[in-house]
Amino acid sequence: MDLIQILVNGLSVGAVYGLFALGYTLVFSVLGVINFAHGAVFTLGAYFTYLLIGGAIGANGLMAGFQLPFALPFWGALPLAGLGAALVALLVERVAFRPLRRRRADPLLALITSLGAGVILVNLIQLLVGAESYAIPTSVLGGLPASFPLLGARVRTVQALLLGVAVLLLALLSLWLEGSRNGRGLQAVAEDPETAQLLGIDSTAMVRLAFGLSGFLAGVAGGLVGLSVSIAGPYFGIGYGLKGLAVLVLGGLGSVPGAVLGGLIVGLAEAFVPADWSGYKDAVSYGFLFLVLLLRPRGLLGRPLPTKV
Amino acid sequence: MDAALLEQMLLGALLALSVYLPLRCGQLSLATPGFYAVGGYVAALLSTRVAAFAGSGATSPLWALVAEMVLGGILAGLIALAIGGPVLQLRGIYLAIATIALVEILRVLNLNLPFTGGAMGIFAIPQPFEQADGYVLFTLVLLALACWLCQRLEVLRLGRAMAAIRDDELAAASVGIDTPRTKLIAFVASAVLAGVTGALAAHFLNAWNARAGSFDASITTLAFVVFGGSRYWLGPVLGGLVLTALPELLRPVGDLRLILFGSVILLGPLFFPQGLVTAERLRGLGALLGRAPQAP
Repeated sequence: MDLIQILVNGLSVGAVYGLFALGYTLVFSVLGVINFAHGAVFTLGAYFTYLLIGGAIGANGLMAGFQLPFALPFWGALPLAGLGAALVALLVERVAFRPLRRRRADPLLALITSLGAGVILVNLIQLLVGAESYAIPTSVLGGLPASFPLLGARVRTVQALLLGVAVLLLALLSLWLEGSRNGRGLQAVAEDPETAQLLGIDSTAMVRLAFGLSGFLAGVAGGLVGLSVSIAGPYFGIGYGLKGLAVLVLGGLGSVPGAVLGGLIVGLAEAFVPADWSGYKDAVSYGFLFLVLLLRPRGLLGRPLPTKV
Repeated sequence: MDAALLEQMLLGALLALSVYLPLRCGQLSLATPGFYAVGGYVAALLSTRVAAFAGSGATSPLWALVAEMVLGGILAGLIALAIGGPVLQLRGIYLAIATIALVEILRVLNLNLPFTGGAMGIFAIPQPFEQADGYVLFTLVLLALACWLCQRLEVLRLGRAMAAIRDDELAAASVGIDTPRTKLIAFVASAVLAGVTGALAAHFLNAWNARAGSFDASITTLAFVVFGGSRYWLGPVLGGLVLTALPELLRPVGDLRLILFGSVILLGPLFFPQGLVTAERLRGLGALLGRAPQAP
């Protein structure tokens, strides 16, 4: 495989990791906790996309044979799936995070409650649509060719799409965070929830906003991965979820550009693992993570860790 | 009750204690399943590749089991010792994520190393006991020993140093507690306990593969402690016993089983934020039994 091909493969996988880590980072920045249900929301996004393009459910599960009476083009299905995932993320916030916040409980508990929510979601998917894998046919892209040549390499259109959408979403998110009232409110809550509250910012609404956005990003990423490599079953988000965690720390907890940079680095590093060693590919991101944590615990673009006195 | 289920519950309680030990010192380590897997591989490899450990009769010798548990514990402890120094400088969620990474690295190694049997793992691990009852008795002794040691911690200087670090690390350091050393001891003790448990579990389960130490297991074992209560050793033991039994007891509800299990994990912390075993409930129990327990 030549260099361009490796780069393209690495960047497109890295874009997914980046989108994933962005979702974690948004929630982490306002609440200081990791949402372990994020992988399940990603998975749901993929299934929503599959249903919205008119895909039929297989023979297993309670929804066997179900098919929507309409079929949307991929461009319509993807944002709608993102919205569906955002609603689920809001629901997760409502049941797994807000009660803890209201009781001022140990934030550590949110690791457990969000994982509980994730377990429920994943098994609900399995109950409803079965454990089989579903593929989103690349024909949904309409007239676009399956691949195109670039500098002597063949690039799958899906890969370019993944990268393009990730960059677009990152740019929009950055503009929104810096330029809009809500975006700045979100940053204020991330900085210091109590001061933000005193300044008249509704921190509960900002938390909800962060969850909604993170769910949307996860849902879109899920739909794109579903298109790129098919939906391998209800558990397929978990592997990405763990990689996203590594990426999150690599880039710096709470840093938006860090999440994307971390994603691209991990994606590229994995793409450069030789085929003979492919079994060890999954350890690359965690090895990186380990090194970064030990050498620079705040991550590549993170802010200095607070030191309590 | 079914002896096999009881044995699983006891193993769950041991793993919960392994998560509890660093947490007693304020350190959220999720590395337990990684060390558990390492201990299991030590036992699986020795008892299937070394003739003396496999024995010649219907059952493998008991001394071999004990030796494997010791060796599994030692190897896990050595790994913890090697990485503990730098890793334990991390705090809170950073430490948790680093230990998740450690578990994943160990899992990938277990999956790919030339001698661990790949994805299939290692089969036909010889049995030191003819029936599950033997395992239950043996594990009960081990659990009692672990509980006794944890109870001793309540009065020992080491245990009090651990509690001081949990409550305020800087304050603990300022009164002369060697915080890095204390944290390292807790981390290594946790690893040794997980390694010993893994060696025992590999025999009981008869087969061992890389799935023994996964991210799911990290969170499940943490749930044991959170559910039971992390302030006193009785909490994790109770949490381990109950949450291990739950998915099995829920088997009759079929497909809804894991959904219900997820609901319990979701709702448990909401209704019992301190866990089932709290200082007040312990005192209440003590008054009921007519004597004051040594609760924190």
